[in-house]
Amino acid sequence: MKTFEEKWTAWLDGRLSDRELAEFEASLPDKAAAEAEKTEVKKLGALLKRELGAQALLNEEFFNHQIREKIARESTGESRKREVEVSPWWTIRRLLWTGTASLAVFLVMAIFVMRDKNPAEQSQYLTQILNARVDPVVSPNATISMFETKEDQVTVLWTEGLQSLPADYAAK
Amino acid sequence: MARCLLLFVGFALVLSTTATELRGSETVWSGLVIAENVAQPQPIPPELTGIERPLKRLFGYNQFQVIGQSRKELQTGQEDWLATSKFFGLHVDAHGESRAGYVLNLKLYKEKELLLETDAKLSKRSPLLIKGPQVGGGQLLLVLVVQ
Repeated sequence: MKTFEEKWTAWLDGRLSDRELAEFEASLPDKAAAEAEKTEVKKLGALLKRELGAQALLNEEFFNHQIREKIARESTGESRKREVEVSPWWTIRRLLWTGTASLAVFLVMAIFVMRDKNPAEQSQYLTQILNARVDPVVSPNATISMFETKEDQVTVLWTEGLQSLPADYAAK
Repeated sequence: MARCLLLFVGFALVLSTTATELRGSETVWSGLVIAENVAQPQPIPPELTGIERPLKRLFGYNQFQVIGQSRKELQTGQEDWLATSKFFGLHVDAHGESRAGYVLNLKLYKEKELLLETDAKLSKRSPLLIKGPQVGGGQLLLVLVVQ
């Protein structure tokens, strides 16, 4: 036994048989008001259909968005893959660059060393005598002086009055 | 980039070390020399040929004979060595190296008697000449040269 609500819903959807339809419409207190309500319900159904169709469109956009993201991810992956593939070339280039730079440093240092080793070059440094002393007991009258000759690039410590020694002391 | 920088620093260090090694150790020649005036002077010893002119000009002798010598290769600049003759000994004690040269302490002994002591900064391009005591008709000279 169907309730009124069930029969009403079936009537709105047009699912009542002829006999049920006649019985239901006869039971309606105000058929015109019911028809008007049926029209409103149909309008609402159409509206909902339309709205549901728009939602489906939104889903499509979402799907498209997902595809685009996937493509983007794959593109990034490809790019990384390409980077990995070309990385040996970068290493070689860096190696060459490093080697060249190191060679330049080496040449600078070598030039510096060779310049320093060049005996023909006049050094700015002469030998310096920092201090000198003689034993006052052995040579009480000894004096010391020092000088440099820039012409010959030599430094001389000159002593006078040291104890004189016999020629035997010249032995090897 | 960091790896590249590390590699460069490594290369530079290796090459710098090589360059420093190229500079190498230097040898200090220390000699006890008797200078005299003689009628027939002997040729100057090869160790003194580079300073023949100042030796003759400054000290006024025409013959120079090496009676004792030492050739010391300096690795650290902290070495010490001795150049000796029969009666004299020259003790050299190095106290380090600078760009200007080696800091040396020199002591001249007559047998065990200290005659003279001096501290000097021996330049790599500038020999040190020391006038020692009169020996017979000649003069004892001390010569130090970085070779």
